[in-house]
Amino acid sequence: MRLGTIGALLGWLLIFLSAALLIPIGFSIYYADGIWQAFVISSAIGFVLGGGLAWSCVSGPEIGHREGFAIVGFSWLAAAALGALPYYLSGAIPGYLDAYFESMSGFTTTGSTILERVEALGPSLLFWRAFTQWLGGMGIIVLSLAILPILGIGGMQLFRAEMPGPTKDRLAPRIQDTARILWSVYFLFTALETVLLMLAGMSFFDAVCHAFCTLATGGFSTRTDSVAAFHSPWIDLIIIIFVMLAGINFSLHYRLLSGDWKAFGRSEELRFYLGVGVFATILIMLVNIVFGTYNSWLDSLRYGAFQAWSVLTTTGFGTADFDQWAPACKFTLVALMFLGGMAGSTGGGIKQVRILMFWKFTRVQIRKLIHPKAVEAIKLDNHKVQAEVIQSILGYLSLYVVVFIVATLIVTGQGIDIITGSTAVIATLNNIGPGLGGVGPCRNFAGLPDLSKAVLILCMVAGRLELYTIIILLIPSYWKDVRRPRWRWSKT
Amino acid sequence: MRIVIIGSGEVGRHICQQLSGEDHEVVLVDRNADRLKSLEQNLNILTIEGNGASAGILEQAGIAKADLFIAVTDIDEVNLIACIMAKEYGVLRSVARVRNEEYFSGASPLNEHRLGIDLLINPDQVVAHEIIRISEVSEAFEVVDFASGEVVLVGYQIKEDNPICGITLADLKDLRGLYDFVIVAIVRDGETIVPRGADLIQAEDRIYVVVRRRDMAAVEDLFNLWSTAPKKVFVIGGGRVGFRVAKAMERQKVDVVLVEADPIKCEHLAEHLSNAVVLNFDGLDAHDLLSEGIDTADLVVAVTDGDTTNILSSLLAKYHGAKKCITRISRPDFIPLLGKLGIDVALSPRLVAANMILRFVRRGAVLSVATLLGSEAEVVELVVSERWAHVNKPLKSVDFPPGTNLGAVVRQGKVIIPSGDTVLKAGDRLIIFSMKKAVPMTEQFLAS
Repeated sequence: MRLGTIGALLGWLLIFLSAALLIPIGFSIYYADGIWQAFVISSAIGFVLGGGLAWSCVSGPEIGHREGFAIVGFSWLAAAALGALPYYLSGAIPGYLDAYFESMSGFTTTGSTILERVEALGPSLLFWRAFTQWLGGMGIIVLSLAILPILGIGGMQLFRAEMPGPTKDRLAPRIQDTARILWSVYFLFTALETVLLMLAGMSFFDAVCHAFCTLATGGFSTRTDSVAAFHSPWIDLIIIIFVMLAGINFSLHYRLLSGDWKAFGRSEELRFYLGVGVFATILIMLVNIVFGTYNSWLDSLRYGAFQAWSVLTTTGFGTADFDQWAPACKFTLVALMFLGGMAGSTGGGIKQVRILMFWKFTRVQIRKLIHPKAVEAIKLDNHKVQAEVIQSILGYLSLYVVVFIVATLIVTGQGIDIITGSTAVIATLNNIGPGLGGVGPCRNFAGLPDLSKAVLILCMVAGRLELYTIIILLIPSYWKDVRRPRWRWSKT
Repeated sequence: MRIVIIGSGEVGRHICQQLSGEDHEVVLVDRNADRLKSLEQNLNILTIEGNGASAGILEQAGIAKADLFIAVTDIDEVNLIACIMAKEYGVLRSVARVRNEEYFSGASPLNEHRLGIDLLINPDQVVAHEIIRISEVSEAFEVVDFASGEVVLVGYQIKEDNPICGITLADLKDLRGLYDFVIVAIVRDGETIVPRGADLIQAEDRIYVVVRRRDMAAVEDLFNLWSTAPKKVFVIGGGRVGFRVAKAMERQKVDVVLVEADPIKCEHLAEHLSNAVVLNFDGLDAHDLLSEGIDTADLVVAVTDGDTTNILSSLLAKYHGAKKCITRISRPDFIPLLGKLGIDVALSPRLVAANMILRFVRRGAVLSVATLLGSEAEVVELVVSERWAHVNKPLKSVDFPPGTNLGAVVRQGKVIIPSGDTVLKAGDRLIIFSMKKAVPMTEQFLAS
């Protein structure tokens, strides 16, 4: 493994993010919130660090698959570190750890916040918060692949480390073209939602920020009361539709847009995803009607559907304080948190396809008890799934459980109650946002001890990169054959 | 450019690597899922598992949008059928590898023109051809013709006792007399260097020189190298390549000794060769080789199907005093290593075939291309257009892209070996040595 390659690419990524940091300056000047210096300084720091790294490290001839993990893992950690600077330097968030938490929550599209009152941030920081989610939604590496030619070499190693997923989906022979297609679809939907939200009565600023956070399944709002602050059933409806779209594999969107009308019909995962979402909506609506939470069944449907889709796709926008709902509703939502969007979507969580295959696998196991000699093939979209794919899914699920237990143990070990502690881990590991109890939709993560916050930060990034990319960095043998970087000034 | 390749063997892999590295859209089709998986992990290509001659699979590979189709599976018939199908889908150019010679004998009514295939290649034939070409210049390990043979690129290995070791290129330039040449590249420890005037020539370097064909002897004299056509040739291995080489040598009135382990093959060879001596023993039988006088051979060509036999018999021959050896090896990754062992020329049939396909692919803006084995470089022949920004300027004031070196200029059939004062004109054909990475840049540079 060559540290030089890792350093050089990390440098380029920082430069790229420094350029992104310049965008909020426009908003800062327009709204005159007086914190434009924070962005200028942050961007300058990023330029100097990134430029220094990119200039001094000589990258190797190609990126091996091991370097791929390190580049992607460190890129995310570094991106969040740089993205935290504006919060910290402007004084909006006094502690750097809190700022890092907020920033990581942004890039990983989690949406958990440590802020008491979101409005206190000022428009430019609110924009930056939403923008980090949008960048992180489709993936910063995938974005860089689409626009930076420098990453063309060995790009597929990075692509795989950032968008793992159990199924492979190449839209074009070249990885750069695939990345470009995905981002174009993403961009198109974002623009469409912005326009629709403005038609429904939002201001341009709110519409852009909410569109960013919807398509990224992020869930940062510009209001403390989240989407509830707008009191508009139309806005609720638009956001429900777009989170649902954001939870669908973007390759399917592209296929549909390019004229393949049957693309959606062929996907078993899509049927399963929609089925789960509709079922959960009806279930929550019925329970709310039975318990009389709302005055009309229409309200039960409206709030039920919004919360169910928002949580299922790991977005985390809220129109209701579901912490006050009946326990059965709360449990349904917690169960949904684990599922997440489809593979290849911007949603987090375990991903629908893994759950679907796990279910098929279990069904085969049970049938084998009944017919011990039966030969079974597990099929997805009418194609046989290789045994090794099933194995990797089982391995992934076990690792998920282990990570969940360890993280919850550390958080509850610091005296946090079990509901708050476990749902905080669930909400961050699955990139949702709010949990229950002390971290419920109307509360925030500010009160947690520092160690817990650090653990949750790791949960967010591990969950976003589907565990392995981050976990592998913690394994000592991964670092065994490290080669020191070749500096530009050193003679060969 | 979108390129569909069927067959992920050594040739297919090499072409994929090269073309995807040049930013083409490459789709690879093969039946072997494991091989595809490992290739897809390392290369920027799309892979599709399935039969390359099936219409469904080809459509899935996007054949309708493809500009080039390359069929290099192990089965001749699949390659031919796939190419015929590709033509029906409107692919502009197609290449097929065909091993069986009966398929492309000129007399056959179904030849490549009838089938609409632009290039048929037979690796064995290509390798035999290459061996014969290299054998004509006994000291060189590589010879490539440009400008219809007027200019040659020759590769020499510089030995320790050569007096030009330790001389800079600038000094060497002063030494040269009436004849012009350009050292376009030096390969040192497997790394290709595009040299400048201050660079030294060191022992064990492989240097590439561009020179007029008629000055070649004089330049070799300057470098203390001598090229004499071989008089006694040992060919070890009587397969298709060995037979072709022996036959060609025989025609040139060279003494040929052909060694083959299989008695039945030997009989067949003896029947079809006239003057060559056909011997029936194993190529690793040192005693028999020596008693037949391999130590006095001018050239040993080891072309059995076994890499071990080829390498060991070449080493044995070199050890006992044979002047030069050409060794066939099926694993191209080992070629740089063999130079260190003392083997003069190592050829991989698959790599040679892949390079020939690449040469064909590049034909367009580029007139001809040679990919140099075991180095990171290519030699391209390009034409200067009238619109080029640097027309009618002396070379001193033209900045060629880094990693390139101008070897020769051909103007109206006359060869000019360039110096700083040479002025480039529209219509000149340039022979440019370029690192593989810099090839697209060079093309762009000359088009601007």
